[in-house]
Amino acid sequence: MDFDLTDEQKVWRETVIRFSRKELAYDIADFEKSGDFPWDAWRKCADMQLMALPFPEEYGGCGVDFLTTVLTLNSLGYACKDAGLVHALATQILCGLQIHLFGSEELKAKYLPLLCRGEKVFAQAITEPGSGSDAFSMRARAEKKGESYLLNGNKVFITNGPMADVVIVFAVTDPEKKTLGGISCLVVDDGMAGFEKAKPLKKMGLNTLQNGELFFNNCEVSSDRLLGKEGQGAIIFNETMEWERSLLPAAHLGTLERIFEISLKYAKERNAFGKHIGSYQSVSNKISSMKVNIELGKGILYKCAVLKDSKKRATIDASICKLFISESLKQACLDAVQIHGGYGFMCEYEIERDLRDSIASTIYSGTSELQHNIISRFIGL
Amino acid sequence: MLTKDKIKHFIITELIADGNLTEFGDTTPLIDSGIIDSLGIMSLLGFLEASFSVQISGEDLIPENFASIASISNLVTQKCSFG
Repeated sequence: MDFDLTDEQKVWRETVIRFSRKELAYDIADFEKSGDFPWDAWRKCADMQLMALPFPEEYGGCGVDFLTTVLTLNSLGYACKDAGLVHALATQILCGLQIHLFGSEELKAKYLPLLCRGEKVFAQAITEPGSGSDAFSMRARAEKKGESYLLNGNKVFITNGPMADVVIVFAVTDPEKKTLGGISCLVVDDGMAGFEKAKPLKKMGLNTLQNGELFFNNCEVSSDRLLGKEGQGAIIFNETMEWERSLLPAAHLGTLERIFEISLKYAKERNAFGKHIGSYQSVSNKISSMKVNIELGKGILYKCAVLKDSKKRATIDASICKLFISESLKQACLDAVQIHGGYGFMCEYEIERDLRDSIASTIYSGTSELQHNIISRFIGL
Repeated sequence: MLTKDKIKHFIITELIADGNLTEFGDTTPLIDSGIIDSLGIMSLLGFLEASFSVQISGEDLIPENFASIASISNLVTQKCSFG
């Protein structure tokens, strides 16, 4: 498997890094306090066509391969300190992938250009108050009534939910059937009768990211808004997770690279007991572990991207990728705070925010525990 | 080994978690009986695509195509014949 980047990909990576440092260098602390979403930054990313990358040109996309999309998220995670914005962008792309892979021609033509231009914000609604990693125990119900579905139920923690214009909702269409065949996907527009969005929830990290609860009360959705076929929801979910568990870790790996560079620089400059602190093994081991995890993470991340570009399955690879990189990032952030001592604990140094942001990476898109379960299933346990 | 036999062998050895083989035929419902679940189908897809050099995506990814050994075999044969 060839993981060498092309010259174009290398230049593009540098371009995204320059763009992020110049255009996305706003004071995140202000947004953290207000809880507002950085709309100016969103629009700049849209102008840069970052949301349009993997989609065909006929729908307003750039038609690039998935590895390039992954590299873009990786570059954003590295150079943009607002992990909330990067996560919102990744969610937008993931929703587009679902529509592109499973949507009817009408749905693709209607939604993908709006998504690519960033004019409409997209969200996917899976999690419910009573079902997180055990997603398929969901209770939201879409009951067929003539040519429509009557959607009822609540979704919670939905990324981009409070500001979403379009939501891909997973709901039970046939309670008699097992998970396979009983769950379907519907595309719901903001403003449809019976659909309400709650205010964003307060979180310990990712504070610019808007997460919230969605309510469906006899929301009538016409059957031509079905993504894929009725009963295809669980397969769409699993298929989507392979892309999601590559895209989100791509950003995390970029952040890990930034944390590594900051820690390395500090360990070379900061002196204690007459020597720079990097000369002490208790410090250098932490930083060398970051480097090890970056290189290993790159290997599994690129493998996932190349597999998806080759239209191959990557279920176990994507789970390993998500598990390894998110846990590596969380550990690296903890170590970076420790290496920086008191400064690391201060908001001014910004590492504490990376640590707070990193905690969620081992929870969303399937907890680390769930990734272990998936990997165990695939190795026959 | 025939297509049906290969598929059955994979299901018996990889998807029946507790190793207690229950007898099933070509038309035994695999999804309704719980032999294939939402994760098992991804494992099965990986096996089918690698073993028979086919790509199964989009509209083919419906539960009906994986309901029994016979329906899976039909899908594989169909995909193989379309190249």
